[in-house]
Amino acid sequence: MPATPRKYIILAYLLAGLILIVASYSLPLWLPGDFVTAAYSGSEITLTAVQAQELHAFYAHDQSLRSYMADVFTLKWGYSYVFQVPISELILEALPWTLVLMGSAHVLATVVGFIAGVEMAWRRGRLVEKLGVGGATVMAGVPELGVGVILLLVFSLHLGWFPAAGGKTVYADYAGCAQLLDLGRHLTLPLTTLFLAYLPANFFLTRGSMVLILGQQFLETARVKGLPPIRIRYAHAARNALLPLATHFGMRFAFMVTGAVVVETIFAYPGVGALLFNAITLRDLPLIQAIVLFSSLAVLAVNLCLEFIYAFLDPRVRYVS
Amino acid sequence: MSPDVWKKLTSDPLFILGAALFAIMAFLLVGGSWLGVHDPHDMSFAPLSSPSLQHWLGVNDGGMDIFAELLSGIKNTLVFSLLAGLTSLLLGVVIGMLCAWVGGLTDQLLMRFSDILLAIPSIMLLILVAAFFRVSAPVLGLILAAMTWPTTAKIVRAQALVIRKSLHIQAARHMGASGFYIIRRHMLPELFPVYLVGFASKLRMAISMETTLSFLGLFDPARKSLGMMINYALKYYYLDIWWNWFLPPVLCLTMLIMATTLISLSMERVFDPRLGGFVEAGSR
Amino acid sequence: MRVSIFFLISTAINISTPVAAQELEIRIADSKGDWGAPNPFHHYPRGPGYVRMSWIFDTLIWKDQSGYIPALATKWLYDPERMVFCFHLNPRAKWHDNTPLTAADVVFTLAYFKKHPYHWISTAPIKTAKALNPHSVEIHLATPYASFLSDIGGSMPILPRHIWENVKEPHSFSAPEAFIGSGPYRFVDFNKAQGSYLFKAFADYYQGRPKADRLIYFRSGRPLVSLSTRQADLCSIDADMAQSLENNGFVVIRNERGVNRKLMLNHRKAPFNQKNFRQALALAIDRQEIIAKSQRGFGTPASYGLLSIDHPMYNPDTPVYHFNLSEARRLLETLGYQRATDGFYHREGQPLEVQLLSSSFSATGQGAPDRDAQVIKKQLENLGVRVELIALEQATADSKIQNWEFDLAVSGHGGLCGDAKILNEMIASSYGAGSVNSARYDENPELNQLLEMQMREMDKNARTKIVYRIQELYAEELPAISLYYPFSLSAYNPHKGIDWFYTKGGIGKGIPIAQNKMSLIRP
Repeated sequence: MPATPRKYIILAYLLAGLILIVASYSLPLWLPGDFVTAAYSGSEITLTAVQAQELHAFYAHDQSLRSYMADVFTLKWGYSYVFQVPISELILEALPWTLVLMGSAHVLATVVGFIAGVEMAWRRGRLVEKLGVGGATVMAGVPELGVGVILLLVFSLHLGWFPAAGGKTVYADYAGCAQLLDLGRHLTLPLTTLFLAYLPANFFLTRGSMVLILGQQFLETARVKGLPPIRIRYAHAARNALLPLATHFGMRFAFMVTGAVVVETIFAYPGVGALLFNAITLRDLPLIQAIVLFSSLAVLAVNLCLEFIYAFLDPRVRYVS
Repeated sequence: MSPDVWKKLTSDPLFILGAALFAIMAFLLVGGSWLGVHDPHDMSFAPLSSPSLQHWLGVNDGGMDIFAELLSGIKNTLVFSLLAGLTSLLLGVVIGMLCAWVGGLTDQLLMRFSDILLAIPSIMLLILVAAFFRVSAPVLGLILAAMTWPTTAKIVRAQALVIRKSLHIQAARHMGASGFYIIRRHMLPELFPVYLVGFASKLRMAISMETTLSFLGLFDPARKSLGMMINYALKYYYLDIWWNWFLPPVLCLTMLIMATTLISLSMERVFDPRLGGFVEAGSR
Repeated sequence: MRVSIFFLISTAINISTPVAAQELEIRIADSKGDWGAPNPFHHYPRGPGYVRMSWIFDTLIWKDQSGYIPALATKWLYDPERMVFCFHLNPRAKWHDNTPLTAADVVFTLAYFKKHPYHWISTAPIKTAKALNPHSVEIHLATPYASFLSDIGGSMPILPRHIWENVKEPHSFSAPEAFIGSGPYRFVDFNKAQGSYLFKAFADYYQGRPKADRLIYFRSGRPLVSLSTRQADLCSIDADMAQSLENNGFVVIRNERGVNRKLMLNHRKAPFNQKNFRQALALAIDRQEIIAKSQRGFGTPASYGLLSIDHPMYNPDTPVYHFNLSEARRLLETLGYQRATDGFYHREGQPLEVQLLSSSFSATGQGAPDRDAQVIKKQLENLGVRVELIALEQATADSKIQNWEFDLAVSGHGGLCGDAKILNEMIASSYGAGSVNSARYDENPELNQLLEMQMREMDKNARTKIVYRIQELYAEELPAISLYYPFSLSAYNPHKGIDWFYTKGGIGKGIPIAQNKMSLIRP
């Protein structure tokens, strides 16, 4: 690959960021429907023409691109129509829940998938590998939705081990450990659902790259040198399997906000996804813009980071030349 | 396909299992009318009847035969997924190859463009499009393909870069072979397993996406699909319908996705034992 | 109908909530959770938002199972000569900050809502308000206003003057004082991310200390699961759930028929601008089948006159369109439509094709769409009208209906048991031009005239007569076709010692929710 100068890459990312800002500016405006109609349509209130007009005027959304850009750069993200509070406050309130749920699901699925993938690739062809691959294949096939509902019915409705909804027992006034336990109990089912959903992809990915790497020359050298197998597996081989896994991890960030929507819906778990979809339902334009922009810029930032991480992890450097 | 490869494939239990699953589906789809399956749109049966000889999986809340719905749903899901998967794969391979070969500014631009696409959650865009323009399922499939090629492109590009540096390609270049020739004669065939496996994962992605979209109700309500069935069945989760209404579409989905996974795994073994199932990102 | 095995096995697994033993806590679950901060300027313009606000802010009068009851006002009188309502306030009433509540607060509230409209009420018919003494207030009407008690008396939350008199922009006022009311509960917390609310009993409430010390609202994706695992004490349920819940010791209550599903017609364009055409459609729709397919039988065919069968002013002689295909076909043929060999109607070479809009899903994918539109499509095709079914996301469909960009649309609304003003709102453009559910129909001058008349008729019997005629005319004109009233049920855990009930005519303006604050006040 012809080496691209670093500033070149950064420039390309800046351009992409700019495009995203413009897109987020115009995207919500394409949404059919408006806040007033959406908010009042299922209401017991019947608006007269005059009232509707006043409300439309109150919630008019005619910001110029320039002032929008200025607001984005000065971090003035405005007020939500629905909540009448600063949008940053809303996002900051919802973000920790998403990060905890999605983050821990991803980290767990990546770590477990990685270890399982390395070990299975090492034992390629043995019964345990076949069972593992078979299991992962089945797992990959069951839709998130199915897993979620079955977990809910069995462990919440039937067995009553875990709560059916929410991120915590609201207003329970738990202290310390009890509070953590409560949070954990609420997290268990949605986390398990997502973990089971993400695990197979990580597993197959690692296993795939490991199989590729295990055939490489340099490992033979390591073996000849008499290094312990676990060291060969992890210190030499698996290191090279990290690149595709890191790429995968980064790409999943794109689905950070929307990825958990199904799960957030089933378990009524709070989060940015729920916030966004409620905002769409009610056409809370400033909130939609902010979340879309925030999440897509985050993806871009993660990709940029990955670009530099590649330099450390790139396996091509090792096994091609 | 050489007879040798075919022989290897047919002796692989994974392939046999995957192919068998597909065969069962195909049999059900083709044999549907022959089995005397009802019209999936007929609403004239007693709502929520239990399974019987008349209705193998019972009747849903709207008085429609669940088995007929299931078959119709599988067919629609498959058609959508094949369309979206193939198109996405084609775009991904072409663009990935182009980036790897040309490099430089083109590569940067296309890759940043793909980053932008990756940053936009495709579900959101599809909701917008479906709600605003009321497009048909095939068009939604194509839009989905246009949104999801970057994952394939990135992987094809990465692999192509590796191959490009390999000795025989370098040699071919030194001998003055044209870029097009090298791509056609060396890179495309050598990368065959990559995109073959890539296709399986695209197909899987498309199946899941179709389910999610139909679960959200984004398609024409008259169009049967597995996701829609799950959505309706879910509404009655508190009734004893989960085994004859909720489970069948979930199982069929699992079978569909499993079948593609199995076949791709087995192909990976047969075509290139070196290249382990490179299941690409964003497959779900 | 069989009941899930999960239910039979799942007996009361009591997940105890960690509160002191003597403190009674009530938890109410709903699937959306967040309905805005509970004050008049922040709550969502929907029933659940109003109800959450109603725990904190009291009104002059209130309703229970049987009708109007005293709230802040112990007595009220109307003087038709002077067009004056006089309210005598409860002298024990006070605000959550212990300031006494006086007539001046009522006068202030009316003036404040005139300046900063609260769309649940209409201050237009009010001329002035005067405090006669600290505990009596006179409200002078500009014109007679028949809905006064339901509207101003029973729906208008009274605001504390000492807090709001300096607030210029109520929509951005969200300091803790913005939630000081005179109701039975004090506001403690609203968590936007969790969609949860915490209220604490106001011990000095003028009608006595509320029974539950803490009142909590929380979000649950599957309220039924929360209910049967005892995490929730009250939630609304689907009709199919009732039997198994009752078997498990819950009390199930059923509301009056105050919510309907209806078929909106774009009567501003051909062919729907013809009365005969609309009637033909009504005759071709078999509502029993819709109820059977869409609601599994849990519904009642609606009156074509819009007002609910349970409404005190319901006219039993409202015209009915019994399902009759041949009569429907006859009507179509008088309009010049001819049935082709394929069974579909044509006129002047043009096939009769209509679009049917159904807005049955939201972007969140919560809840499956019901089958109404599918059944109607089938029935109309049976008649010989080609139907294209269009499913759109809720807000998208709503704005299409609002802008008259549709042929037929399935929609629904409540309030059919509340004050008969609902007729005006759902029929005339002058009342409902800004609403999605309103037919906005002004083609029949007599109908519009009667609608105006009933608003000014303060005599109940005379008003009933007018309302009877309105229903007849509406049913004949059919600006929209009423389909059915789906059952509306709630279930609660009786072990908490609270008897929940549905309010006669609905809470406030007609909100069909079983969370009347009187349930927690009365012994």
